Amino acid sequence: MSLWVDKYRPTSLAKLDYHKDQANQLRNLVQCGDFPHLLVYGPSGAGKKTRIMCVLRELYGAGVEKLRIEHQSVTAPSKKKIEINTIASNYHLEVNPGDAGNSDRVVIQELIKTVAQSQQIQSSTQREFKVVLLTEVDRLTKDAQHALRRTMEKYMATCRLVLCCNSTSKVIAPIRSRCLAVRVPLPSVEEVCSVLTGVCRKEGLLLPPELAKQIAEKSGRNLRRALLMCEACRVQQYPFSADQDIPETDWEVYLRETANAIVSQQSPQRLMEVRTRLYELLTHCIPPEIIIKGLVTELLGNCDGHLKAEVAQMAAYYEHRLQLGSKAIYHLEAFVAKFMAIYKKFMEDGLDNFMF
Amino acid sequence: MDEYDEMYGIEDDFEQQFADELEVMAEMELEPPHPARVSGFRSKMPAPQTFEDAITSGDLASKTAGAAALSKTLGPSCDEEESLTPKAKKRKHDVAKKLHFDALQDDITPPSSPEVYGNSEGTRPGFTLSLSPDGPPVAMTASVLDISGLATLQESPKRVPTAVCRARKRPPATGDYITVTDSMGNRVYLSKKEDDDNKAPDPRFFRNSQNALGLLAVPIEVLKEQVADRRHRQLVEDSQRLTELLNRGVDPELLLDEVTEEEDGETADEGVCSRLWVDRFAPQHYIELLSDDFTNRCLLKWLKLWDMVVFGRERKPRPPAPEARPTAANAQNQNQAQRFKTKSQITEEILEAELDQYKRPKFKVALLSGPPGLGKTTLAHIIARHAGYNVVEINASDDRSAELFQKRIDTATQMQSVLGANEKPNCLVIDEIDGAPSAAIGVLLATLSRKDSREGEESAALLPICIFDRLPLLLVMPQRQGMKTDTGSLVALCEKTDNDIRACINTLQFLHGRGQKQLDQRVVSSVCVGLKDQNKGLFSLWQEIFQLPRLKRKRIGGDVFGALEEAGLKDGAQRLQHILHLASSNGEHEKLIQGLFDNFLAMKLKDPGLAGVCAGLDWLCFSDHVNECVLHGQNYSLMRYLPFLPAAFHFLFAANSVPRISYPNSHYEALTKTQHTKNAVVAMLAEIPPTIRSRVCQNNLCLEVLSLLLELICPKLRPVNPQLYSTREKQQLCELIDNMISYNLTYRQDRTPEGQYTYVLEPNVEDVVRFPGLPPRRQLTYQVKQLIARETELERMRRVERAQQNRNQRVETHSTGHSEVKRPEVKKPPARNHHHRLENIVKQAVVENKPELDFFGRAVIPKEKPAVNSATGEDAKLSGTLQIGKAVGKSDVWFRFNEGVSNAVRRSVYIRELL
Repeated sequence: MSLWVDKYRPTSLAKLDYHKDQANQLRNLVQCGDFPHLLVYGPSGAGKKTRIMCVLRELYGAGVEKLRIEHQSVTAPSKKKIEINTIASNYHLEVNPGDAGNSDRVVIQELIKTVAQSQQIQSSTQREFKVVLLTEVDRLTKDAQHALRRTMEKYMATCRLVLCCNSTSKVIAPIRSRCLAVRVPLPSVEEVCSVLTGVCRKEGLLLPPELAKQIAEKSGRNLRRALLMCEACRVQQYPFSADQDIPETDWEVYLRETANAIVSQQSPQRLMEVRTRLYELLTHCIPPEIIIKGLVTELLGNCDGHLKAEVAQMAAYYEHRLQLGSKAIYHLEAFVAKFMAIYKKFMEDGLDNFMF
Repeated sequence: MDEYDEMYGIEDDFEQQFADELEVMAEMELEPPHPARVSGFRSKMPAPQTFEDAITSGDLASKTAGAAALSKTLGPSCDEEESLTPKAKKRKHDVAKKLHFDALQDDITPPSSPEVYGNSEGTRPGFTLSLSPDGPPVAMTASVLDISGLATLQESPKRVPTAVCRARKRPPATGDYITVTDSMGNRVYLSKKEDDDNKAPDPRFFRNSQNALGLLAVPIEVLKEQVADRRHRQLVEDSQRLTELLNRGVDPELLLDEVTEEEDGETADEGVCSRLWVDRFAPQHYIELLSDDFTNRCLLKWLKLWDMVVFGRERKPRPPAPEARPTAANAQNQNQAQRFKTKSQITEEILEAELDQYKRPKFKVALLSGPPGLGKTTLAHIIARHAGYNVVEINASDDRSAELFQKRIDTATQMQSVLGANEKPNCLVIDEIDGAPSAAIGVLLATLSRKDSREGEESAALLPICIFDRLPLLLVMPQRQGMKTDTGSLVALCEKTDNDIRACINTLQFLHGRGQKQLDQRVVSSVCVGLKDQNKGLFSLWQEIFQLPRLKRKRIGGDVFGALEEAGLKDGAQRLQHILHLASSNGEHEKLIQGLFDNFLAMKLKDPGLAGVCAGLDWLCFSDHVNECVLHGQNYSLMRYLPFLPAAFHFLFAANSVPRISYPNSHYEALTKTQHTKNAVVAMLAEIPPTIRSRVCQNNLCLEVLSLLLELICPKLRPVNPQLYSTREKQQLCELIDNMISYNLTYRQDRTPEGQYTYVLEPNVEDVVRFPGLPPRRQLTYQVKQLIARETELERMRRVERAQQNRNQRVETHSTGHSEVKRPEVKKPPARNHHHRLENIVKQAVVENKPELDFFGRAVIPKEKPAVNSATGEDAKLSGTLQIGKAVGKSDVWFRFNEGVSNAVRRSVYIRELL
């Protein structure tokens, strides 16, 4: 528990550092006694999970922080055994059904139903419902999401679901309509800076405001990453200097280099090189959506204003195809090839205009 | 039944009695015996008549029998069926029989009954000669009637009928006869009669003649069986005649050809329809082989090289025999070879030159390979037989596990010594070896390396056969079977079947079987059977896709159709169809597409705008989407669109040059790597404590946490002994170890292939976050890593211990409820060495008086004594000394029993005692 991210994580709604209005609303929600299903969404590193845990603590008290890992095994109708790890306290159960891959529907059906069917023992002193926390709901298959629909209604008396995901676009509409959607936006740069400074003060360190700002910007306002970066800076060089270089994740560097390679030359050979780099990224468990997003961000910075709209449109098109298909590499490469074609044509046209 | 049986034997004077009946009977040898049924009993006996007529005429409708009972009309219908299908309904048959018998018993008049016969026999001596089919027991006695033959006949009428000769008093008017005189001087004349198969079932005539008055004399079932029998026999005869006729028609033509005698006989024996043309016209001799002469010669030569070892050793007395045959057979070839130094000649010389010390050829096994249907198996068999070997074949139809394989090989190679001297040596032909399990191949190799056996191994043969090689045969064959054809259509057929002679012949037979007498171009192109399932290899498929079809050289035949076809292959529609066909006949669609994806960028493209590449990739995206729909929604009708991708690639990327194609393994490699990465992450996640575990999932671990975490665990540490660290450094180390433990990381010593020792992270998440080609991150030195590894290990142990202690303590706390008393004792350090005096030990050994507890864990307060549980150390010491006694405690020598430890006796020795 000694990483700063873990050590200084707020545990109650009152201690949250930003989005305090939302925290107040959540507290009211808990106190009014009619707690709905929640769908918490927002970008990574915004503090969704922290907020959910705070809500749970508000609901049940400190008992939710006594966590244990349980290894559950569910038998699919095809007699296939599915092993899944859950994190549970006495009051809630956290499942990441995405871990079960294609059989997540069975996990949803069996696991959640058994939890939801059992009543709390002493409902007089506690809440009469348990909470099931599903993470990464956007990774759930459609089947699993449909399986969730009925469960959500049927066991409303004994069980509340808290769904946590990055984007609601992959959650089917019936589920969205059954939940209270709570968006947790990223903290602003100032908020990140204040958090960083606060943590450093607690550690007894002095963080120059310039460095804090740099870290906040470089982390993309992702608070988890900002804290990790800050700590890494601390490890590299303690008396902080304002212009010290902040460690980056390797895949970002690699992605940037790939984008540069695309821009510098457009040919089938280069496309072949790009393909190996894309494969490399994919094998390092970088999700293809993130790759395509990173590429577009880098490429847009490199191309002319006329092209930007077209490139963005193309990226959206191929990203959609990517979601429909299963072999990410085809779609990524198709996007790259398309960009190369457009870019090359644009450059040649420009050259022609220049010459004549 | 017996009564009827007896009647058969009696043939004395009823010729005179029933002369007219006999006449009729003579007629009936040719036709069914219904005229015999005319009698006066008809009016009285409608039922038997109905039966009889139904049987004889085989026509139920013609029978009026209106007055007959229902059961009786039912009978005939059964009987009729019976006669058509003889084995059908036995029970109904019995019913009919019974009916018939009743009628007989009731109404038959004495003359026809057997008793009457018995009487008449006594007065008139008669002679019966009955010949049973196997041996002719001729009954010459007048008084005893031998009916054995007849009985047999009745019970099993299907047997070859017995010849029955009738004895006459006078010499017969027509035909030969034999005069027989018995012991009593009576002379009878036995008429000689041609007892043909057809005429065999005489008995029923006797019956009829006996029942001249109109009753049915022969049991109905006998009649029916006879009818059925006759029909059957006629059928068989007809078919035989037909077969003979056919064979006779074929034979001359076969004899014209080079087919050998035994082959001919075989063909004559079996029906035409039963054999495939492929088998019928398979070559029987070396000279009939169609395959490339060079290959044949090489193989034969190689096999001949063994002669010296095989036959030279075993058949010492006749060494020239095996030598003579090949020379005779190959005389022509030899001459040719001498005149022209051909390639085969050279090869033969090479083969001959390379003999090992036992005069065996250097190569112990021959491997024939090639596409199916070129005659590899035939070649191997014929050559082995030609060289005087006994062919032992193992093919895919046999089970080819390693043990069985071994057994077969051993049998083949060792049986020879057991067999007699005349036996041919074995030549092992292992057919279809490409399907054999690798273990079996291993066995074969092992056998080869230690055995001096002779084995011809055959798998498949590379036979570049020219198309005209087999035209003569193809031309000959249809003519033999009465088909008209021309060269052009045969060439087309060959082309269609991809020069596969087996498929050619099968197609021809098929066409012939369908009644096609004329084979021309149109038939060949329209029929789709000749087209075998062209399962081309992936590589050739990729090649076809990436290569434009080359203009074929003009054929010698110069037929119009071939030219048309060439032109057709050039135009787009034809190419599209071709590729579509190839792609859809290939089963491994996934791999096919993968190969296209991996190779298309390496093609020589004239594509400056990258438009083609974009289109190709769009096709790939589309096919991926379709595939996903198929797999996810089980919408298999979409699968028909998948083969269009290769066709599109063909039009986009095909070039004239020969493409260099590599096997697609990028996808598989990526898959394994991803799996490796995932495994590392999962292994790391498995042991992370739940509070942290709930905050990190795989995704953000890979994206954000891990990379920075690896930075975090590489602090700048001075490479000195940790004891020399400053407080701050110590704290840093402490934090580092804490982090490593909470994220389930440690360093593990590993040895590089160069023999150096390194410490690597365990689980190795470094692979997860590091990318090739980026500047390497700062690494800790070996010493620091070692230090960290040790400290981590220690800290882990400490934590485990602490956790255990905590648990124990909690248990005790719960049980006693006196935690404040216990805690200092737990923390008390073990006694120093100089405290090992008995006094102290005695002090320590004092049993602490635990407070008595009741069932619920509450302290029970003793009533008479004050509570002992407040006893301090001083009290304990006092009580201990009291209990043990002062003398013991003050003694110099003492011992303490320590179970399992041998140095139980201690003595304090002072320095001054040693001085």
